[in-house]
Amino acid sequence: MPIRSLTSQTDLFRQAANEASDALSKWLGRPSSITINSVSIMPITKAVGLLGVTDTPLIACAMGITGPYSGLLVLTGDDASGLALADMLLGREIGTSTEWTEVEQSAAVETANIIGCAYLNAMAADPQAASHSTSQPLMPSPPWFFRDYAAAVMESLLMAQATLADNVFLTHTDFQVDDMPGKCSLLFIPEAEDIG
Amino acid sequence: MAIPPETPSSPTSDRRFFSGAIGMGEIGSAHDTGVLRTFVGSCVGVALYNRRLKIACLAHIMLPESKGRSSQPGKFADTAIPEMLRQLKQLSHGQTVRWSAKMAGGAKMFAFQSGMTVGEQNILAVEQILGNLDIPLLGRCCGGTQGRRIALDVATGTMTIETMGGNPETI
Repeated sequence: MPIRSLTSQTDLFRQAANEASDALSKWLGRPSSITINSVSIMPITKAVGLLGVTDTPLIACAMGITGPYSGLLVLTGDDASGLALADMLLGREIGTSTEWTEVEQSAAVETANIIGCAYLNAMAADPQAASHSTSQPLMPSPPWFFRDYAAAVMESLLMAQATLADNVFLTHTDFQVDDMPGKCSLLFIPEAEDIG
Repeated sequence: MAIPPETPSSPTSDRRFFSGAIGMGEIGSAHDTGVLRTFVGSCVGVALYNRRLKIACLAHIMLPESKGRSSQPGKFADTAIPEMLRQLKQLSHGQTVRWSAKMAGGAKMFAFQSGMTVGEQNILAVEQILGNLDIPLLGRCCGGTQGRRIALDVATGTMTIETMGGNPETI
């Protein structure tokens, strides 16, 4: 479904981010807050540096989305924030996890699943999506985890759009959870053909 | 966007001491000394250089073919390499120069990708274009599943490639 008017979609993305934040609070049993940083089109070079880092490690849990809105939904953050999320989920003192073993990766992926599904549920409730002629429902793939240089992660996430245009569209929401050092971010990166 | 050698890294630095970071789809060139840097995942970093003249150029190529699009020549293999040669010709004051090439990147970043990935297409396109131009590819560090940090030493043409958690490789 073409995202023809970014302005008209801003409320939808905001609502989806709020739902995701509520789900995160329930999932972790701690208050969380969000900041909608951007719902915008920007040059790809700017988008690559969107999270403020390029050469530090970034973790990403990405879900492929199909249906009326298609693209990627990605929970991302630096090591400290991601490992803190894992500690919270595993009931450990924050700072216990120092590396990404299978346990921490699994915790991050599950968190992405919870946040991502809440986000998508809000989007699926949008009348425009509900009335779309496609019979395919809004469906996420299982999230997959990867960790790499921030610039390489962002480049790869944006590649599908970059193949068709010099500018990319994405939504960027920061999540902050009590006691978490830093923040994690949720990015929605639509397929290029969905950008009208 | 090209990073011209006339733009030094700091106002007080000599133009021979240029170093620069090259973003997606951009080209940077420099001479004498300095380091050109970029990060690549499925994109490829392509260097053209001449060690004797100490002139080097690095492009962050995203896609194999421009298909007529010319707004950002560094983005596509078929437009980036001619643009690199144009910049190098300027830096070498029109001399006839034998350029050499090195290349790194073209990773398959996502496990779910099947068929020929963008990374593989980029590698093939660059190899073909360099072959057509009779520019020898003297080193390559391509493929895999990880992003790379590339640093090109302008004076020597040495390319250092780092991966997250891996040992640096020099070509």
